[in-house]
Amino acid sequence: MPPLLVINLHNGVPAYRQIMDQLKLQIATGVLPAGTEMASTRSLSAELKLNPMTISKAYGLLERDGVLERRRGQTLVVRERSTGAVETNKLTHLRQHLAEAATMTSQLGISRSEALKIFRDTLDSANP
Amino acid sequence: MNIAPPDTLAFAADRVSKTYPGHIALAEVSLNIPVGHVVGLIGRNGAGKTTLLHLAAGLVLPTSGTCHTLGRRSDELDSPELTRLGLVMQEGRFIEWMTVAQHLDFTASFYAHWDRDLQRRLIDTLEVPLQRKVAELSTGDRQKVGILLGVCHRPALLLLDEPMSSLDPIARAHMLDVLLELLRDDGCTVIISSHLLDDVEKVVDWIIALDGGRITENSALDELQESFAEWTVTSPAGTLPIRFTESFILTQQSRDRQARLTVRTREPDAAERFAAKHRVEITSRPLNLGEMFPLLINRTKDAP
Repeated sequence: MPPLLVINLHNGVPAYRQIMDQLKLQIATGVLPAGTEMASTRSLSAELKLNPMTISKAYGLLERDGVLERRRGQTLVVRERSTGAVETNKLTHLRQHLAEAATMTSQLGISRSEALKIFRDTLDSANP
Repeated sequence: MNIAPPDTLAFAADRVSKTYPGHIALAEVSLNIPVGHVVGLIGRNGAGKTTLLHLAAGLVLPTSGTCHTLGRRSDELDSPELTRLGLVMQEGRFIEWMTVAQHLDFTASFYAHWDRDLQRRLIDTLEVPLQRKVAELSTGDRQKVGILLGVCHRPALLLLDEPMSSLDPIARAHMLDVLLELLRDDGCTVIISSHLLDDVEKVVDWIIALDGGRITENSALDELQESFAEWTVTSPAGTLPIRFTESFILTQQSRDRQARLTVRTREPDAAERFAAKHRVEITSRPLNLGEMFPLLINRTKDAP
């Protein structure tokens, strides 16, 4: 089954970028383990109703970034990565999300200590 | 788009002007459209979009400059190129006394490779009334017939002039599916002019904006999406300057401690540096094609 991707075509974020971000997140969270075969450009473009060039671009850049690799024939698979790389990838995702929260914190005039307390509480309620 | 060798260009215009008595439709337009791209032609009414499509189809010749369609000069276009062209006009011209079925058979007879299967599927999904006379069709159904006649020979270059303006949202979605199918199966090139920017945004990978017969933008959609943004700028301490002077700012509105800017920049750290310089917080949001439109045709001054 191809990975479940949800592409919003009107939020101004390039579709190839959304595909890359979502696949990277699914790889980071283990939804797509190393060795998983990616859907072909053709079938993913049919499924997402996107221009095939958009899919090729996303796949090409993920291959360049070492996230995917091409195996015998043309099949693209999720590349085996060191535990270190996987961890770094996870932290990058978390940092991106927290950066937005940090801007919001400052715009709302909420103090650091208050913001940290809210984050702690949120973590507690998410993983009681 | 200027690096491809000429034989991989579906359409090329070199300093093309088209003038009519008392009216300049296109002025010194140069562009190259490589094979396999889906180009959105956008602009206000009278910007020159239809003229450009007519030139690409060889329906009219340039007043000056040269056009090449599928590698051949537009004044030398012949069967090998013309049979690989598909043209769908906003208001198609048909043989009005024929039924839709007769018209399809008639048009199909000109092509060696008319795709009957595609025709059947389109008739089903678009719900085209086959036995009605063309003259009796509604505007929307006429447009559907225009689409059928324009795509069933699986053209290498498909020119679409406001092809969906009279279609309901469901028919438009089917039309976009067909386009995507042609792209996947044939790798065809598409130039589509439309005011329905939400639909255009779904399929195109390249944008050409025209205003007053001139090209005001010629860029990959990805690149536009990555360079245009709206910044909400807040100053935690004190007031903001009345006007920011950075050259990448396209529009700005400010009120005491907050400002809303539209910017165009490819520098990844532009927001960071701006924030540090002015001691402000920035929330950045990308713009969709509809929001970019006035900026792409350089008409921001006209905006309210």
